[in-house]
Amino acid sequence: MAYKTCARVSLAGCLIVALSQASAHHSVAGQFDRTKRVSLTGVITKVDWINPHTYLHLTVSDGSGSATTWQLESLPTAMLRKAGITSEMLMGDGATVTVDAIRARDGTENLGWLLRIDYPDGHYYQLAGE
Amino acid sequence: MKRFPITRGSIVAWTLAPCLFAAGLPVGLAQSSAGEVPRLADGHPDLSGTWDNGSGIEFVRPRQEGASICISGCGPAAGAPPAGAPRRAGPPPVPDRPKYREEFQARVAALDASQVRDDPVLRCFPPGVPRIGPPDKIVQRVGEVAFLYDDVSGNFFRVVPTDGRAHAENVEPGFLGHAVGRWEEDTLVVEAINFNGDTWLTDDGSFHTENLRVVERLSRDADTLTWHATVYDPDVLAEPWALRPRTAVLTDVEVAEAPPCIERDIDHMVDDSSHDNPR
Repeated sequence: MAYKTCARVSLAGCLIVALSQASAHHSVAGQFDRTKRVSLTGVITKVDWINPHTYLHLTVSDGSGSATTWQLESLPTAMLRKAGITSEMLMGDGATVTVDAIRARDGTENLGWLLRIDYPDGHYYQLAGE
Repeated sequence: MKRFPITRGSIVAWTLAPCLFAAGLPVGLAQSSAGEVPRLADGHPDLSGTWDNGSGIEFVRPRQEGASICISGCGPAAGAPPAGAPRRAGPPPVPDRPKYREEFQARVAALDASQVRDDPVLRCFPPGVPRIGPPDKIVQRVGEVAFLYDDVSGNFFRVVPTDGRAHAENVEPGFLGHAVGRWEEDTLVVEAINFNGDTWLTDDGSFHTENLRVVERLSRDADTLTWHATVYDPDVLAEPWALRPRTAVLTDVEVAEAPPCIERDIDHMVDDSSHDNPR
């Protein structure tokens, strides 16, 4: 089913779908909208190192003293671990990071599917296709 | 929303592993040298080792460039895989599926359409066999093999006697069934029965009955493990289902305790869109 779909949509979109397949879990496309991309700058304050999907908590300040915390869903723990990524590495020592994500389809505010994290020293973790 | 964190099983599984080692099993990876297959005292191939099957994702290949790591959407840039990363890459496998008797095909289609709501794995239940795939770690000694799994639903284990004994009787049906093994030349043949009916064979509604029987064949060629499963359930299947063989490679990345499986997503799904799963 998804592979038939892959013939009709972009490769990047297929990667998202395919990755969700491989994680043996739900369809990313059923929960997140790849047309609604968001770029966020903030601090990763917590990593929920759980299955079937990890969650990153990204606190984004608006510059006026208030802050919003995003919950960003990502890959299963074993997939991250086998790629050499730990929760501590994701935290990045509390540095301000830039995160690319796609928003939830159901309208839940500040919920997204994590695509990529860029750290101030130039290194990054690309976790899902666009 | 129902939540089914799998924690007790994790504790049992990872408590068992050191006990097996303490019982005289070889410690460390059974690394082959010069392409040779290591053997135990009984002359059978030693399948022991930690086997990377790419978490079932044979077409995703993590890549490391300096301190950066890309798991998916990496683009064409060259780079070396991080330690322990799967060594294979290629196009997504085409799902292979069991063929059902005509009278059950509508039920499979209905379950497929409602996968988001009905697939046990989406609620963190054990995936069952063969959906769990090849083991992530094998610990073998003469007369007994232990399979360890590092699954998104949790850690699981199977202890498979290979000393000629028959299936145990009066055993509660389980998600992974009851298995016994035997050697056919250099191939380990594992037969599992006594399953409960609470798992699917795949993620597309492929249900089974409690009369399910699964035969797995495992063989080793140097640092590659080949796993081939065949499913028998004549009550509902039109014919035995021989899955596409899967391979795994030896890795130095050890299996680890799986965090609890806590489902958070289903309430946010806006439709029943699902997917075919390679495993």
